Formats: sequence, C-alpha cells, structure tokens
Amino acid sequence: MRTVSRGLALLLAALAIAYPWLAPNYYLVYAGALTVMYAAMSTSWNLLGGFTGYVSLGHSAFFGLGAYGTGLLVVRLDVPWAVALPVSALLVTAFAVGIGVAAVRVRGASFVIVSIALVSMMNLVVQGWRSLTGGSTGLQVPSPFPGLHRGETHMVFFYLFLALLGVALLTWRHVSRSRFGAGLRAIREDEDKAESLGVPTGAYKVAAFALSALFVALAGGLYALWFGSLDPIFVFSILIGSYMVLMSLLGGVRHLYGPLLGALIVAPAGEYFLIALGETQIHLTATGLVLVLVVLFMPDGILARFTRRRAGPSIPDESADQRLQGVAG
Amino acid sequence: MNLLLQGLALGVLTGGLYALLASGLSLYFGVMRVVMVAHPAFLFLAAYLTYTVHTTFGVDPFLALPLTVPAFFVLGVAVQRLLVARLAPDNLAMMSVLLTFGIALTIEGLLGTVYTGSYKSVSMDYATRSLTVGGVHLPYDKIIAFAVAGLTLAVLFAVLVKSRFGQALRATIQHREAARLVGVQTERVAGYGFGVGLATAAVGGTVLALITPFFPASHWVWIGKLMAIIVVGGLGSVVGAALAAIVLGVVEGLVLVTVDATWATMMFYVFLFLTLLARPQGFFGGRLAHRF
Repeated sequence: MRTVSRGLALLLAALAIAYPWLAPNYYLVYAGALTVMYAAMSTSWNLLGGFTGYVSLGHSAFFGLGAYGTGLLVVRLDVPWAVALPVSALLVTAFAVGIGVAAVRVRGASFVIVSIALVSMMNLVVQGWRSLTGGSTGLQVPSPFPGLHRGETHMVFFYLFLALLGVALLTWRHVSRSRFGAGLRAIREDEDKAESLGVPTGAYKVAAFALSALFVALAGGLYALWFGSLDPIFVFSILIGSYMVLMSLLGGVRHLYGPLLGALIVAPAGEYFLIALGETQIHLTATGLVLVLVVLFMPDGILARFTRRRAGPSIPDESADQRLQGVAG
Repeated sequence: MNLLLQGLALGVLTGGLYALLASGLSLYFGVMRVVMVAHPAFLFLAAYLTYTVHTTFGVDPFLALPLTVPAFFVLGVAVQRLLVARLAPDNLAMMSVLLTFGIALTIEGLLGTVYTGSYKSVSMDYATRSLTVGGVHLPYDKIIAFAVAGLTLAVLFAVLVKSRFGQALRATIQHREAARLVGVQTERVAGYGFGVGLATAAVGGTVLALITPFFPASHWVWIGKLMAIIVVGGLGSVVGAALAAIVLGVVEGLVLVTVDATWATMMFYVFLFLTLLARPQGFFGGRLAHRF
C-alpha cells in the first residue's frame, strides 16, 4: 500500500513537471499555473482547517497582503523580487500571529465571522490608503523576467507554484506525523479535553494559523510578480478565500492530497465557466451551488468516499469500549 | 458641534435599520444555533425585487411589501426545512456558515446575471427632501426607514412576547429539548423562526432600496457590519443586538461626518476585534454566547 501510494505520488509529480511541455498552447500553461497556485493555497489552508477544524473564509487576506507586500517592496523600495517575496511572506506571518492571538480565542461560527471581517478590513485599508497602494486603481508590479515573453513567464511561474505546492504538501505530511499535528487533531476532536490533557491549545492554534498564512502569502507574492497588476477588489475578495475552503472540503480535509484533488476539479471548472459563459456573474452561482451540495452531501470529501474511512471522530468508539473491557478484565 | 449632532442623528436613523436586520440574525442563531451569512444577500434580493416592482408598475416601493414579505417567509421556512435541518449536528456551527455562504454566493451570482453589476436605486420625490430641526438636516427617506424598521421591530417583539407562537419560539431558543418535552413542535417552530427572520430581511430590503444605491456585491459589506453588531451585542441576544446596532450606527455616523467613509466602516471591525479581545461573549450576551 505504501509503495503504491509513493509510486502514485512520484507519477503525479512527473506528470506535473512534464505538463507545460505537453500542453498544446500557452493558455493551458496559464490555466495549469493557476490551478497549481490554488492547489498550493488550499493545501496551505488545510494546515489550519484540516487539522484543527477551524474553517477560515478569510485566507484571501493573507493572499492579498502577500501580494501587496511583495509588490510594494519591489515598486516603492526597489527591493529585488527574490528578496521581496520571502520578506513580505514573513511580515504577513508575523501579522497572522497577531491576528491569530485574537481570532482563535473564539470558536465555531465566531471564528468564521472574524475571518470574513479580516478580509473586509484589509480591503478597506488597501483601498483607503491611496498614497501607498494606489487605492482602487491598483498597483503595477514590473515583471521579474523582462527578457521572457508572456508564455514563457507562465511556464516559469508554473514551476514556481509547483515548488510551493511541493513544500506545502511536505509540510502538511510532516506536521501530520508530528506531535504538533496530533495536538492539532486533538483540538479538532475535543478542544476542552485536549486542553485538560495538557495540549497547549492556544499556542498550537496560533502556530497553525501563522503557518498556513505563510504559504498563502507566498502564493500571493508570486501572483503579484506573475500578473504584474494588483486589483484590491480581486486579491482581497472573499471568493478566493471560499475557493480554498471549497477545494479542501471537496477533496477531503483529512487527507494530504484532498485539497490538491479539489483544486484540480474546481480551478479548471472555473476557467471553463469563464470561457464558456464569459464575464458574467453566473460563475458565483455555480460556486455557491457546488459549495451547498458539498456541505450537504459530502462534507468529508471525495477521498473519504474512496478510502472508506468512517466519518466522525477519528478515534473509533469500539476501541474505547475495548479498552474499558480490558481495564475491567 | 452642529456636525456632530448631524452625525448623531444620521447614526441613530441608520442604526434602526441595523437593529431590524440584526434581529433576524439573532432569531436564526437562537432557534438553530446557526450564523446565517446569507441574510444580507436575501436583503439585497428583496431590494432588487422592490426595484423591479417599482420600475415595472411605477408604484411606491412599499407596495412591494405585501408581495415580498409572505414570499420571504415561505422561502425562510424552505431554507430551514430543506437545507439547514439536514446538516449533521456534530459540526453544525461551521458547516451552517459554509452552507449559508454558498447560498449567499448563489444569490449574488443570480442578481449579477439578471440585473447586471451596475448600481441600481429607487428614488422617490419625498426621498430628496429633508426635515430641518435646529440646524440638523434629517432626510425624509432616512426618517421613513427608521420608522418602518422601528415599527417592524415592535411588531416582532410583540409577537415574540405576547403570542402563543412567540412563546413556543422563545421556549425553543431557551432550551430545545425541554421545549419538546412540554409539547412544542420544535422542528416546525424552528422553520417558522427562519421564516420570520427572512420576512424581516424583506422589509429591510425595501427600506434599503429607498435610502441607498445598491449593486449585487454590496452584501459583503453588510455581512461584516451585521456580524460585528451581533458579536458586540452577544450572539443570540435580540435586545443586545438591537442596542449594539444603535451604538454602532451612531459611531459610524459620527466617524462619517468627522473623518471619512472608510474609517466609518472600519469602526465596525475595530469594535468586533475589541469585543473579542475584551469580552468574547459580547456585551449583552447571555448564556448562549459562551460556547460560540
């Protein structure tokens, strides 16, 4: 089983690396890069959402901040892009620690509310602070590869996003097997019990929040360099945040490859909608309906169907019973 | 000084509408422990329906109410019975937000497709005039909005306190199992609770159409504002939400006249975060709020 899954992962990685060469035109390379970007972001979202069960609809705040941070460092301070990208991501992570301390004090629905509020706040700040960010007219970021034409730039960024996805997947796997990950899962199953057993729930939640913000911010920074123009209404849109949630839920939040699978379905579908129907608002309706259907009928995701792992608590009831019998006997 | 009075007056008038809308959210939360993110989307649906009635028949926007209020009541019952009640109870809080979020996206997309993304507004001749009291200008449309919102809230409170249905509803809010034990059909009551909540959104939508231009994506701003109001007031507390609505409406009005619109909207989020840091259960929150 393990060799099969490892072989499958290697095969997928090889296919992904070969994709830009197999794609018949640059538009498909562009769509591929966009899909990989969403996959990296939703895998990163899943560091928080999958392990702790804290659903954040506001991760687009970190995406937008990462994008604007990188863009502003390049444009206003003439920092080389390779420096601006990590610096801005680290600044966003530090910011996420601060926000996290306030946000994870509340659970359940209130947390979701806070995450939505975060996006709206950042949108207001960036649009209001005209002198720094250019306000609603947006920010123009020079291309990091002026020698390449548009199609070649798509290829470069495809690989950059792919590398980011790889790092995000490895981080998720590493966390999943660590004591930290076990603590985060304990928070998801029963936060009060986890705390009474000595899991430092507050610190763990903030750490998971910041870690997932880091990769989303990196994706945002890459997006800024790739697209070259930032529109505050788009990068801070609640839609990007909800895409991350939808992809993760659709694929399966408890699985390493769940968000990736979700992204492979949702992102190309979104692009197809854009081509088939043009710039109408009906794609919002499609996204909304899919989200409603997933939440109602498949909250554990596609992968959960296939692995036949039962829904509900990951600690099966039988084992607790068996343990009790063991104690009694 | 005059400017501050002006801001204060406008804040109170807008706060009335906030209070009406927040009361709907408190109802949903009370009967189902559900945070209904789609409430503002339904509000804008009602605003657009009012716009259609007004432009097609050329009648006063308030004549849309006999049409929209019953329709939204039925819609609310349907949303509760067909969608919210089907969610698995173990992670209801998060999943209900996602579900209603999906509904909100659906509505926004439909509105954008049917009505396009540009601004729409309903303007009546009485909306352009204003009443001047001691140097303070009070636009008639805002006064009408406040009166309608206040009247609807009063009716809502009367129904909740006096009627048999209101008693059953409050019993369901206070303790669902106990209510069922004494014979309240809590499933049905929860459905009607959603219906009443959406009916308030129908009234709010007509009022909103009268006082401000609107476009499909503007419901996001309202989600933030209304969520801030119910968190500051304390989730599930109808009175707390109403008080917080007036307070935040006044703060918004004052900041609007002294600083600018960006900061006025920002105040809602500032209060939201301050509340979460200082008193996560809200300032008027009762027993219900502790777990959320």
